[in-house]
Amino acid sequence: MSESVAMVYAQASAHQRGTSSCTQGARTPCRPAGMRLRPVRRWAEGWGLALLLLVLPGLGQADADEVAGTLGAVGSDTLAGLMLRWGEVLTEQYPAVRLQLQASGSASAPTALIAGTTRLGPMSRPMHEAERAAFMARHGYPPLELEVARDALAVVVHRHNPLESLTLAELDALFSDTLRCGAAASIERWSQLGVDLPGGRISLHGRNVASGTHDFFRLRGLCGGRFRLDVNEHPGSAAVVAAVAAEPAAIGYAGLNHLTPAVRALARRDSETGEFHAPSAAMVTSGDYPLSRSLYLYVNRRPGEALPGPERAFLELVLSEAGQTVVEEVGFVPLTPAERECQWHRLEGHGGR
Amino acid sequence: MIDPLPPRDLPRHQWRRLRDRLATLLITAGGIGVVVTVMAIGVFLALEVAPLFLEAGRSLGWRELWQPRWQPGTLPGESPLFGLQPLAWGTLKAAFWALLFAVPLALGAAVHSALFMPPRLRSRLKPTLELMEAMPGVVVGFVAGLVLAPWLDRHLAGALALLICLPVGLLLAGLAWRRLPAAWRHRLPHGWAGLWLMPWLALLVVSALWLSPWLEALLFGGDLRGWLEAHAGLGYASRNALIVGLAMGFAVIPGIYALAEDALSGVPANLGEGAQALGATRWQSLWKVVLPAAAPGVLSAVMIGAGRAVGETMIVLMASGNTGLMTLSPLEGMRSMAASIAIELPEAVPGGIHYRLLFLVALVLFVFTFLVNTLAELVHARLRSRYRRLGGRS
Amino acid sequence: MIGRARLPRGEGVWPWLAAGSLALSLLMLAGLLFLLAVRGMGHFWPSPLTLVTLEDGRLLAGQAVREERQPNAAGRERLYLTGNRDLDGAIWRWVAVDEIAEESRPRDLVVLERTRWGSFQGRLLALEERGERVEGEAAWAALQARLQELAALRAERDRLRDEIVVPLVRRMEREPLAEAELARASARIRELQARIAGGRLLLESVDGRRLEQPLEQVLRAWRPNAMSPPAKVAAWGGGVWRFLAEGPRAANSAGGVWPAIFGTVLMVLLMSVVVTPFGVLAAIYLNEIAHQGRLTHLVRIAVRNLAGVPSIVYGVFGLGVFVYGIGGSLDEWFFADQLPSPTFGTGGLLWASLTLALLTLPVVIVATEEGLARVPDHQREGALALGATRVEMLTRVVLPMTAPAMLTGVILAVARAAGEVAPLMLVGVAKLAPQVPVDGDFPFLHLERKFMHLGYHIYDVAFHGSDVQAALPLVYATALLLVLVILVLNLTAIFLRHHLRARHGALPRR
Repeated sequence: MSESVAMVYAQASAHQRGTSSCTQGARTPCRPAGMRLRPVRRWAEGWGLALLLLVLPGLGQADADEVAGTLGAVGSDTLAGLMLRWGEVLTEQYPAVRLQLQASGSASAPTALIAGTTRLGPMSRPMHEAERAAFMARHGYPPLELEVARDALAVVVHRHNPLESLTLAELDALFSDTLRCGAAASIERWSQLGVDLPGGRISLHGRNVASGTHDFFRLRGLCGGRFRLDVNEHPGSAAVVAAVAAEPAAIGYAGLNHLTPAVRALARRDSETGEFHAPSAAMVTSGDYPLSRSLYLYVNRRPGEALPGPERAFLELVLSEAGQTVVEEVGFVPLTPAERECQWHRLEGHGGR
Repeated sequence: MIDPLPPRDLPRHQWRRLRDRLATLLITAGGIGVVVTVMAIGVFLALEVAPLFLEAGRSLGWRELWQPRWQPGTLPGESPLFGLQPLAWGTLKAAFWALLFAVPLALGAAVHSALFMPPRLRSRLKPTLELMEAMPGVVVGFVAGLVLAPWLDRHLAGALALLICLPVGLLLAGLAWRRLPAAWRHRLPHGWAGLWLMPWLALLVVSALWLSPWLEALLFGGDLRGWLEAHAGLGYASRNALIVGLAMGFAVIPGIYALAEDALSGVPANLGEGAQALGATRWQSLWKVVLPAAAPGVLSAVMIGAGRAVGETMIVLMASGNTGLMTLSPLEGMRSMAASIAIELPEAVPGGIHYRLLFLVALVLFVFTFLVNTLAELVHARLRSRYRRLGGRS
Repeated sequence: MIGRARLPRGEGVWPWLAAGSLALSLLMLAGLLFLLAVRGMGHFWPSPLTLVTLEDGRLLAGQAVREERQPNAAGRERLYLTGNRDLDGAIWRWVAVDEIAEESRPRDLVVLERTRWGSFQGRLLALEERGERVEGEAAWAALQARLQELAALRAERDRLRDEIVVPLVRRMEREPLAEAELARASARIRELQARIAGGRLLLESVDGRRLEQPLEQVLRAWRPNAMSPPAKVAAWGGGVWRFLAEGPRAANSAGGVWPAIFGTVLMVLLMSVVVTPFGVLAAIYLNEIAHQGRLTHLVRIAVRNLAGVPSIVYGVFGLGVFVYGIGGSLDEWFFADQLPSPTFGTGGLLWASLTLALLTLPVVIVATEEGLARVPDHQREGALALGATRVEMLTRVVLPMTAPAMLTGVILAVARAAGEVAPLMLVGVAKLAPQVPVDGDFPFLHLERKFMHLGYHIYDVAFHGSDVQAALPLVYATALLLVLVILVLNLTAIFLRHHLRARHGALPRR
C-alpha cells in the first residue's frame, strides 16, 4: 500500500510545474490506492463534540492500511445531492469513512474554510478575490481549487410549448425590468416571441433570493440586472420545474440536474450568428452555452503536506471515473477525461514537494 | 390524611412552615421567571432592531423602508432594496383572502352546530374540527403548492363553477328536503344535515367539474383566463392568493369555528326561546336575538383567526409564489413577512442590515398579532360580562 | 321584532347554507385525509407494469401515473414511470393516449430496485456469477435466492459498520490504540463486500437495449404482473416497514424516514421535559399564589395571547437569543478550543427543543390553569382547615386532581410542536443528519447536533429534491405519517379531556 502512495507522490513531484497550466501529458491513470492511516487527532473533550462541522487533520504518523475518520464539508446546496451520493459511494469503498455535510449555500464555504472549520468547501461559483485573499491572509497559502463537475441553468418551458430558442436579450426582456442585455422592450406575452398559446400571458418562475442560482441567473442571464417583480420565487429548483411542468404558459430556470421530460430546455440563440446552443453536455463542456458554470471543491491543503486519508480518498473518488459517473447520475455534466486529467494535475501538483 | 400535630412536635411544625415558605417562594420565583421570559420576546426583538435606527452611519430612513421593492440583492457593487411595503401588503392580502374564505364557512358551521345540532352530535363534531386545526401547516402547504395549484391551473373554470354550484345545490337540497315525505324527513333530520349533506356536496363537486368545460365554452368562449384578462384585467398566476386563501382558510376555519360556536351556544337559552315563543323562526331568533348578543364573541373569533392567518408561514411559503407584487387580485401572488423571514434569515449575516430588518419584520408580526389578540380578548371579556348581565351561564 | 310571519314556509335559505358550510368544512378535511391516505399508502403497493406499444412501433414498459388533457390539442396524454435512467436519461415518459396502439401486462416483466440510477424495468435475461450462467425462468429463481443472501450479507456489513467500525473511529479520535481492531473489522467488511460483489445480471429493456447490471447494486426484484394478491400485500407490508425503519438513500430521494421519526420524537420529548415543569409552575403561580388583582389578570391575558403569536417569531427569537446569544457565549466559555467552529453557537437539538418549549408554554399554562380552576374551592379549604400548609394542599389535593388537565396540556403542546416547521428552519433542523443525536458515545445524548424532522423532511424532499414528481409519493407517505402521529396525540388529548370533564363535572355536586 505504501508503495502506491510513494508512486503517487513521485508522480506528483514530476508534475509540480503544472500547478495550474494543466498540460495533458500522458501519465498512468491514478487508481484509488489504499491510504496511509492518519489517526484523527483528539480534538474534543467531554460531551460537546461538534461532529457536524469538521474533523481536524491528523498529525499522528502510525501506519496501517486503513482510511478512517469523518470528513466534514461545508458549502453549496446545489452540490449537496452530489456530495451526499459521493459520500455514499465512499462509505462503500472505505467502511470507516463518513461524510458529514452542511449545505447551507456557497457563501458558507469560504467562511468555513477561512475559519478552518472545514477542509472541504463545495461551491457552485469560483471564490471571489476577496475571499481568496482572506484565505491567503489567514493560512498563508491559496486554497486548492478543483473543478469537479459542470452545471448549467436551463431555461425551461412546458413540454408542449413550441418555442425552441431564445437570445440572451430576449431572456433578459422576459425576466428583468432593467433590460441591461440590449432588448428594447419587456416581453410579457407569448405572441411577442411568435408563439401562439391560449391565455398568452407569460408566467415566470425562478428561485428565491438568497440562493446562488438566483444570483447566477441575474449575473449571466440578466446582465446583472434586477428581476421583474412578478417572477414567482420558489424555495427550490425542483419546485420551479414542477410549476413550469404544470402550466403551459410558464417559463422558468433551473439547474440541469432538475430537468424532467415534463419540461423542455430552450437553446440559446446567438443573436449575431443565429447558432443554437442547447444546454447539452457538449455545449456545457465547451462553454458555448452561456448559462453554464463549473462546480468547485475548495480544499485547504498546506503546500508540501499530504492530505489526510479521508480527504485524499474522497478527492480521488470524485475525480475517478466512478465518481464522474455519479455526477452524470445526479444530472450534472461530468468532466471530460482531459479535464479530469487536468484536475488530477492540480491535486497532485499543488505544491507537492 | 394529615397527622394531628402534638405541641411537642414543634420543630417539625416549623420545618413544615419553612418548607411551605420555601416552596411558595420557589413557585413564585419560577412563575414570575417564566412569565417574564415569555414576555421578554418582544423586548429582545426590539433590542435587536434598535441599532438599525440608532446606530450612526447605517441608520435607515422611513423612505427607504417604505419603498415598493424588497430585493435584498447580493451581487457585488449593488445596493439592496429593502422596501417593507410589499411584504406588509402581501401579508395582509393573504390574510384577507384566507378570511374571506374561512369566515363565512366557519360562522355558518358554528351557527349550524350551535343552533340546530343535537347536543350529542355536537360534542362529537367539535373534536373532529379540532383535528382539522392540528393539521400541520407544512402538510397543508405542500398539498396547496404541489397538488392544488397545478390542479387549479387546469380547472380554473371548474373552481368558478363550484362557487356557483355549491350554494345553488344546497338550496336545491333544502327545497327537496321540504318536499320529502315526513318519514324520510324524519330519517334525515335537519340537525344532522351537516353530515348527510356531505355526499350531496361531493356529488355537486364532481358534477360541477364535469360540466365546467361546457360552461367555459358557453360563457367565456372556451378560454376563461383570456376572458378574465380581457374583461376584468385579471392576469392569472399559477401561485396566487386564491390558493393561499383556500389553504390558509382551511387552516383557520377550525379556530374561528370553535370560538364562535362557544360564543353562540353561550348565549343564555332563554333569549332565543323567548323570541321563538313570540313566533320567530329559529333563524329569525338567531339573526335578531342570539347573534347580536354573541357579536363580540364572534368578532373576537374572527380576530384571532386573522392573527393566525397573518403569521402562518409554511402555507404561504409553499403556495404563494413569493412574488413581491402589490395587487389586490386574487389571481396573482404575494410575498408575506413570515415567509420572507423563513427563507432569508438563515442566509443573512448576523448583525447585518438584512438580518436586523428581518428581526424588524418579526417584531412587527409580534406586535401586530399581540395587539389583535389582546383586542380580541378585551372584546371577549365584554361578551362574558354581558352574558352575566343577561343572567345566563358564562 | 319579527316583520312577517313566514312560519309555514320554513326558515328560508340560510339554515341550509349554514349546514352546507359545515358539511363543506368536513368534506375538505375528509378529502385531505383521504388524499394523504390513498397516495401515501398507495406508494408501497406494487402497481402493475404495462407494456405499451405505440402506433409507430416503439415499446415502453411503465406504470401509468396520471393522465392529463393536452393543452393545445383535444387529446389526452398519460405519464408513465419507466425507470431506466441509465438507458433513457429520464425516468418519465409522456405518451399521447391516441398514439397507444396496444397495452398488455406480460408476466415476465421485472422491476429492480437499485442503489444507483433508480429502478430498472424490463426483462431479465440471465444471471451470471462466478462463471456460472443461469438463463430464463431459472434466472429469476436464482436471482431471488441470491438477493436474499445479499440482503443478509448487507445487513451483516451494516451492522459491523455501525456497531464496531464507527464507534472505533470515534474512539480513535481519542486513543490511537484501536487501529488493529479497526483493521480487523474493516477486513471483515471488505470480505463481506467481496462476497456481495461479483455477480452480474444481463438485462434487456422492452425495446431491446441490453444492459449489464452488477448484482451488488440491486436491492430487490419483483414481477408485479405475476404477483398474487397475498404476495402484493406482503410486498406492501415490507415497503411500509422499510419506510419506517430505514434511513434515506440517494440524497433523500429514496429509502425511509427513520432518522426523521427519531429526531421528531426526541425533540418533542426534550421539549416536553422542559415545558411541563415550567408551564405547571407558572400556572400554579398565576392561579394559586399570585394576588388575583388587575396585574395578574393582565399577565394571564398576555400569556394567553402569546399562544397566538406566529411560530416564526419564536424561531427568530430562538435564533437570536439561544443560538447566537447563549450558544455563542457557551462556545466562548467552554468550547473556546474549538472556535471558530461553533459547538452550541449553531442550530441544534437543544435550541430547537427550547424554542418549541417556549412556543408551547402558553398551551400548557392555559390548560393547567383551566384544570386548577375546575378544582372546587371547598377541596382547598377543606385541606387547609385540616391543618395542611399551602404547599401540602397543592401537592396532595389540588395537583392530583389537576393531573389530567396538565397531561392534556402537554399532549396538546406536543401535538402542536410535532407539526411546527417554520421555527425549526431557523434553529437547528438538518436536511440530512446521518448520525442520530443519540449513540453509544459519551454523553450519549448530543444536544448540540442537528437533527432531522418529519415536517422539514416533507418540505425538503418536496422542494429541494431533484424531481418533484418522483418525490411526491415519498412526500405523501411522510405527510401521512406526520398527520397520523399528530392525530393520535390529539385524540389522546381529547379523550383525556373528556374523561376529565366527566370526572370533575361530578365533583362540585358531591
